[in-house]
Amino acid sequence: MNKIMIDKHDIESDDFANSAENLKTSGKYLLGIVAADERVLNSKFSVRYFFGGTEGIEEYCVKTDESFRSISKICPAAKMYEREIYDLFGLLPEGHPDLRPLMLYPENWDSSVHPLRKDYNGVIPEMKKYGGYKFKEVLGEGIFNVLVGPVHAGIIEPGHFRFSLAGEPVLQLEIRHFWKHRGIEKVCEGKDFKETLDIISKISGDNGVNIAISYLEAAESILNIEITERAKYIRVILAELERMWNYVRDVAWIFMDIGFALPAQNLFGLQEELMRLNKNLSGHRFLFNSLTVGGVNLDLDSAKLKAIEETLKKVENIIKDSEEFILSSSSVLDRLEFTGKINKKTAEELSLCGISARASELPRDTRAEFPYLIYGRLNLKPYILDGGDVFARTALRIKEIYLSKKIISDLSSNLPEGNIAVSFESKPEAYNYAVGNSETSRGNAFFYIMADDKGKIFRLKYIDPSFRIWPSIQYGVLGNIIADFPLINKSLNLSYAGNDM
Amino acid sequence: MFLKKLLFKNKTQDIAPESGTGSVLIKGDELKRSVDKVFGRSLFVRLVDSGSCNACETELSALSNPYYDLERFGVKFVASPKHADVLIVTGCLTRNMLNPLLKTYENIPSPKFVITAGDCTETGGPFKDSYSVCGPVSKYLNAVIHVKGCPPEPEAVVSAFLKFMDIVKASAAC
Ligand code: SF4
Repeated sequence: MNKIMIDKHDIESDDFANSAENLKTSGKYLLGIVAADERVLNSKFSVRYFFGGTEGIEEYCVKTDESFRSISKICPAAKMYEREIYDLFGLLPEGHPDLRPLMLYPENWDSSVHPLRKDYNGVIPEMKKYGGYKFKEVLGEGIFNVLVGPVHAGIIEPGHFRFSLAGEPVLQLEIRHFWKHRGIEKVCEGKDFKETLDIISKISGDNGVNIAISYLEAAESILNIEITERAKYIRVILAELERMWNYVRDVAWIFMDIGFALPAQNLFGLQEELMRLNKNLSGHRFLFNSLTVGGVNLDLDSAKLKAIEETLKKVENIIKDSEEFILSSSSVLDRLEFTGKINKKTAEELSLCGISARASELPRDTRAEFPYLIYGRLNLKPYILDGGDVFARTALRIKEIYLSKKIISDLSSNLPEGNIAVSFESKPEAYNYAVGNSETSRGNAFFYIMADDKGKIFRLKYIDPSFRIWPSIQYGVLGNIIADFPLINKSLNLSYAGNDM
Repeated sequence: MFLKKLLFKNKTQDIAPESGTGSVLIKGDELKRSVDKVFGRSLFVRLVDSGSCNACETELSALSNPYYDLERFGVKFVASPKHADVLIVTGCLTRNMLNPLLKTYENIPSPKFVITAGDCTETGGPFKDSYSVCGPVSKYLNAVIHVKGCPPEPEAVVSAFLKFMDIVKASAAC
C-alpha cells in the first residue's frame, strides 16, 4: 500500500512557535493546521500542524486546554487556519494579529457557541444580530471604495470584495468569504466511511473526483484496504478527465473575460463534450458516484475507451487552436502578461499550491511531491513558469491539458485486468487517524480523518486548495486596475464552495 | 394582472430530470414563442447561489455554451435583480446567505417569480443537518417551479423554463 508516511513529533506550543522560523527556512511549507477536540482520549484539544517538503510530510502535534501560540506572524499562511480554529473550537491563538470571526458571522451567530467542540449541545443560536464585522479602512484624500458582492453579477458563487482605490490602481482588496459555510466537517462526524464519501464529494462539485480520491487515500489507509491495480488506473483516468474539463473551462473564461468570444465558445463547447463523455462513462456529467470505498463503481470497456480516445482527439485540436489564438495575438498577450502578478516570495509566504504556485516558480504538484495511486510510477515533474501572472497561469493550464491527455491515453491502452472494487469487512482501530492528499485542478486537497470507537468518523478536516490560495489574490490585484480583477480572479479560478466548506 | 395572480398560487411544480428525449432546439423554439408573447421577447433571470457545491452553477453556466445558447430563445441571465423577472435559487441555504437572498428577492420588481434548481434547494441535500444551514429555500420563498437533479442537467432547466411559461400562459387565460 502506498500509504503516506508522516514524520510525527509531539511538541509544546511555545517550543513549536519558537522553532517555526527554522522550519520555514529549511524549505518546508505549511500544508494545513488541524484542530480536534480529543478530550475523550486525553482530556486535551490537539492542534496538528502539517508541513510539506522534499522529504515528505511532517506533523507537529500540540496539546492544549484552551489556547496555543499563534504562528501567523512568522508564517502568514497560518492566519486563516488559526482564525478558523478560534471560531469553531474557541481555542485562542495567542498573539494572532486579526481575530475577527471567520465563518460564524456575528450577524447571525452567538460567538460563545463553538460547534466543533464535542460538548456542543447541538442547539442552534436564534437567528438574530449578535454583533458586527469590522472591515479594514483605507483613508486619505481621493480614496474611494468599491464594494462587490456577496451576490455577483453573473452565475458565480457568493463572496464579498472591497476594493480601495486611488484613481485607477487598486490600493487594497479585502475579501470576506464563508457565505456558503455549510458546516460539512461537523455533518460528517458520526457517519460511516461510505456515507461520508457521498457528503465530501459535494464539497466542491467540479472537483468531486479528485477530492474524493484524497478522502479515499485517508479512509482506505485507516480501513487497511488495498484497492486493485485496475481500480487505481480507473481512478487516475477519471481524475485526469476531471482536471481536463476544469482546465478547458478555466481557459475558456480567460478568453471570455478579455472579450474574445470565438476561442471562448470553442472551449465552452469542448467542455460540454467532455461532460457528455463523463455522462457516457459514468451516467453523470460530473462523474458523481463513480468512486467507492474499496475501488470504483464503473468499469471501462472497449466501447468506453474508444469514446475517450475520440474525445481526446478533439481536445488536442481545439487546444492547439487556443494556443495559437493566444500566442499570435498581441492584444491577447497585452491583457494577460504582467496582469495579476503574484511573486514567488508571496507564493512562498502564503504556502500556495497548484497552478497558482507553479506559475510563481514553486514546483508544487501533489502528484509528484506526495505521489498516490499510480502517479509515483509516472515520474511526473511539475511544470513551472516564473511570470506569476495571468499569462503564466493560463499557459500552464494549456500545457497540463496535454499532460492529462497523455496520462489518460497511456493508461487507457495499458489497463490491467482485475476487479474494480474489493469488498471489506474491516473496522478501523479506535481513534486511529490518517491523512490523504491529491492534486485537484486547483491544487492540493488535504484530508485528515480520525475514526471513533464505533468505526465512524470522529473528526474530519478537509483543506481545499482554494482556502490556501484566496488570500493571495489580495496581493495579486495590487496596482492593477479594477477592470482586470475578473480576469485575475478567473486566472486563479478558486472555489468558494471548497473554501467556505 | 395575470402575472400577479400567479404570485399567490402557492404551489411548486416539480420538473424531474429527463433522459435526453426531445431536442433542445424543439423545446427552445417553443420557449421562444412563449417568451416573445408573454414577456415581450425577453425573460430576465437573476441567480442566487444560497450555498451550493457549485455543480448547479456550472450547469447553469453551461446553458450559455454553443450547445444550448439559451439567450437565442429570449432567456437572459442578468446582472441586477432590478432587471429580473425570475429569481433562480440554488443551494441548501446557509445562515450566512439568508439575508443576501432575501435582499436580492426584495429588489426584484413585481411581478416576480422564483424557480429553485437542484435537490439541495428542496431538501438541503447532504448538508441538511448542519448547524450553519437554515434552508431549505421553500421556508422563505415560494417557488413556482422546482427543477430536480443533483445537479439538474442543462436540458432540464430548458424544460423548466418551458413549463414556467406554460404556467404563466395558463394563468393569463383564466
Ligand atoms: S443539488 Fe447537488 S449539485 Fe446542486 S448544489 Fe446540491 S449537491 Fe451540488
